[in-house]
Amino acid sequence: MVYKKFPFSISLSSSHYISDPKILTSLSLQHRRSLTPYHSRRRGFAVARGDSENGAEPIRHYDFDLFTIGAGSGGVRASHFATNFGASVAICELPFSTISFETTEGVGGMCVIRGCVPNKLLVYASKYSYEFEESHGFGWKYEAEPKHDWSTLIANKNAGLQQLTGIYENTLKNAGVTLIEGHGKIVDPHTVDVDGKLYSARQILVSVGDSEAALDLPSKPTKIAIIGGGYIAVEFAGIFNGLASEVHIFIRQKKVLRGFDEEIRDFVGEQMSLRGIEFHTEESPQAINKSADGSLSLKTNKGTVEGFSHVMFATRRRPNTKNLGLETDGVKMSKNGAIEVDEYSRTSVPSIWAVGDVTDRLYLTPVALTEGMALAKTLFKNEPTKRDYRTVPSAVFSSQPPIGQVGITEEQAIQEYGDVDIFTANFKPLKATLSGLPDRIFMKLIVCAKTSKVPLHLCEEDSPEIVQGFAVALKAGLTKVDFDATVGIHPQQLRSL
Amino acid sequence: MARKMLIDGEVSQTNAEENHYDFDLFVIGAGSGGVRAARFSANYGAKVGICELPFNPISSDVEGGIGGTCVLRGCVPKKILVYAATYGGELEDSRNFGWELNEKIDFNWKKLLHKKTEEILRLNGIYKRLLTNAGVKIFEGAGKIVGPNEVEVTQLDGTKLSYTAKHVLIATGSRAQRPDIPGQELAITSDEALSLEELPKRALIVGGGYISVEFASIWRGMGLTVDLCFRKELPLRGFDDEMRAVVARNLEGRGINLHPRTCLTQLVKTEDGIKVTTDQGEELTADVVLLAIGRAPNTKRLNLEAVGVELDQAGAVKVDEYSRTNIPSIWAVGDVTNRMNLTPVALMEATCFAKTVFGGKPTKPDYKDVPVAVFSIPPLSVVGLSEEEAIDQANGDISVFTSTFNPMKNTISGRQEKTVMKLVVDAGTDKVIGASMCGPDAPEVIQGIAVAVKCGATKEQFDSTVGIHPSAAEEFVTMRSVTRRIAASSKPKTNL
Repeated sequence: MVYKKFPFSISLSSSHYISDPKILTSLSLQHRRSLTPYHSRRRGFAVARGDSENGAEPIRHYDFDLFTIGAGSGGVRASHFATNFGASVAICELPFSTISFETTEGVGGMCVIRGCVPNKLLVYASKYSYEFEESHGFGWKYEAEPKHDWSTLIANKNAGLQQLTGIYENTLKNAGVTLIEGHGKIVDPHTVDVDGKLYSARQILVSVGDSEAALDLPSKPTKIAIIGGGYIAVEFAGIFNGLASEVHIFIRQKKVLRGFDEEIRDFVGEQMSLRGIEFHTEESPQAINKSADGSLSLKTNKGTVEGFSHVMFATRRRPNTKNLGLETDGVKMSKNGAIEVDEYSRTSVPSIWAVGDVTDRLYLTPVALTEGMALAKTLFKNEPTKRDYRTVPSAVFSSQPPIGQVGITEEQAIQEYGDVDIFTANFKPLKATLSGLPDRIFMKLIVCAKTSKVPLHLCEEDSPEIVQGFAVALKAGLTKVDFDATVGIHPQQLRSL
Repeated sequence: MARKMLIDGEVSQTNAEENHYDFDLFVIGAGSGGVRAARFSANYGAKVGICELPFNPISSDVEGGIGGTCVLRGCVPKKILVYAATYGGELEDSRNFGWELNEKIDFNWKKLLHKKTEEILRLNGIYKRLLTNAGVKIFEGAGKIVGPNEVEVTQLDGTKLSYTAKHVLIATGSRAQRPDIPGQELAITSDEALSLEELPKRALIVGGGYISVEFASIWRGMGLTVDLCFRKELPLRGFDDEMRAVVARNLEGRGINLHPRTCLTQLVKTEDGIKVTTDQGEELTADVVLLAIGRAPNTKRLNLEAVGVELDQAGAVKVDEYSRTNIPSIWAVGDVTNRMNLTPVALMEATCFAKTVFGGKPTKPDYKDVPVAVFSIPPLSVVGLSEEEAIDQANGDISVFTSTFNPMKNTISGRQEKTVMKLVVDAGTDKVIGASMCGPDAPEVIQGIAVAVKCGATKEQFDSTVGIHPSAAEEFVTMRSVTRRIAASSKPKTNL
């Protein structure tokens, strides 16, 4: 009864990463302590399942109900909502740095410090060069061609990130989460070691992300080789190209973005080439050599290309599971080091859970957020919640133009449903008729004849913004009829759909 | 192919009767509604004729042009100007992203004007081709109705041509109104504003609707000093009050001088420019005064009274749900009927008309959940009910969810301009009955949301949709806490 009367008047902050911190009514420490014994009984759910297999477990007093290792998207979301649901939570994270090494990271995690956020900022910066070019057709004239100063961008970007990480810290503190700086390591199913100090917890959450090194260049590359064909490679190719670097992209396949819809892959590849990015397809790197003048040459199975100021590997990432003590605790991991979990994000050890990139499911921040939220509900709201991975929309912030998509590709649709109708549009947007630039827009709608399900693929300016609404519609059971019945907003790209 | 036509709800084989008429359909006005109706009717097998006034970017009693307001002096040139004006702000923002720009950046209005004119001419040509490719016969001249099945076209040289038609469609659109105050002839309307010879330094805009707001943003973006006068407390009457306040705040933030509760009483030409006097006792001087106080349906020269076609008080053609007037063979679509004055709606009305009359499938246009956008900088876009409309119309409680944030780009550029997003939910059914957004890319975001709303999406479905990150749109699927809940009983009236 006490549990039910508990003051749940906490306003749940929506978007941490880009909004001002909302002050959350924090649970008083006293309240929480007095409730802990009740909580242990009440939150029998998660423990009971393990209990029923292992026999009765004595009710221990733990320092915390939940100890989270890794304060990234998944970890922060889970911890924050866990406290909202009445749990006592601690979270540990490496100290802040814009370069991630083994010993530094920061609250906010990959997304905030070396992923989504800084990348989008770099994309914005690089897009301006394109806008300057475009604006000529609209009457704008510059006395001298605009020049870009890399160090200003990096300094401002880093200042922005520092501010964001501070906001994340405040969000956690205001929620009553105990923030501990240091390297967390699991000692046993209920104990975590942070730089020598031990903490006990009823549940442990591992959300350490992956081990991608951050981009931190003192100066802009003049000629860069990017190795990889996934979205990171494509995004960086766009960024550096926009900032006037000479960009060469080396991919193992024939086209970039394996796994995406084939027509989209063709379209993006074409647009990238049109903007001056040089493709080296079906090439695998073999060696990098430094020449006398300090430049790098890249040797591949097809030959050698010289004169690079930088070589960047943007290949498959590895979950960050070394040095966590996982093997000794019997936590099952996959071949590439990812932690294996069930649909509730539970590992092979009943009191240890994992969310986010470390589980190698879908490497997307919003997915980590929903995994974190689902876990908090499962553990502390007595609402076991599985993650729903169907119709997850995503975007690639390739410059000019970006991709937005939701739903299956044409190839998957044909495989699953057989009979499909494809609607595509490939046209020059209004803006380009004035700028004179070779921009085109590609849009594609797949209608499965039997079920009328409508996956959507777009490749054009603003497509990530556009696709979000369609993703909601898909969740609501969108059919082609609904699509057609919706009146267009005019004048803009979307009308052609 | 036998042509089936709908006459008073009955489909009849009328190969014999048709031969009495020159055309199955004669359309007066080749704008968005007229061209769509003509083409689609022709595609169903109808013999179609269409008349339109000769081309001029500035409309008048005797000039217009194929493509109509949207293409020639509305949506399209407006959006071009908005694009051009947006660069102004972008250039400023780029500096904190590391770009070094000279202090001296020139904006060449004449170059833009030239390119805009090229584009509308190109589109004018395309629309002509669309008609001829569909087999529609085009007549250049002023059309008027002389009988239930007869039209008369007065050509440029004065000769009159008469044609009979089984059905006549009025699609003559609307035109900017002028107030009856001394000196109003010194001011311009949106037609001229889109085609000014010289870019002025100071502009004064009168009106609180989307046209005024858009021009305020356009001219401010091009570096003009802009004063905006409107009658009410806030611009954009009819829109959600909270969002109207956001727009007003943004306009001010960009340097536009707002004059609420203000009407003009007179205009006088002086050496320094045009001096206006307001009913608040203020005197303002500008190089250009733009009157955007409303648009009136173009029904004066169609001879409608003589034929007996009923008009409403505003002068709009009265039609039923199928776009039919009180005369069974005469129909009307688009702005001339003053229903929802939007191009996509005119297109919808025209498509339904063609289906009803020539496609054998009576179809009513559906006005529910039509998304709209105001291309201010940053833009506003909405779909469904405003909070006020929801409170008024709903049977039960309403939940409102809002999110206000500084877009990521601004955290670096330093621009102090927050994006506001809002969802209005029927607390009983959990259906999302209204969504609005004011911020960069709002129209693009709302289009997808509009499809979801049309599908009857619930707040729960919104919440269970994963966000696309980082984007502004994802805020729509991450609004977890109710900002306010309004009980069914309370019904505040708004008079802003």
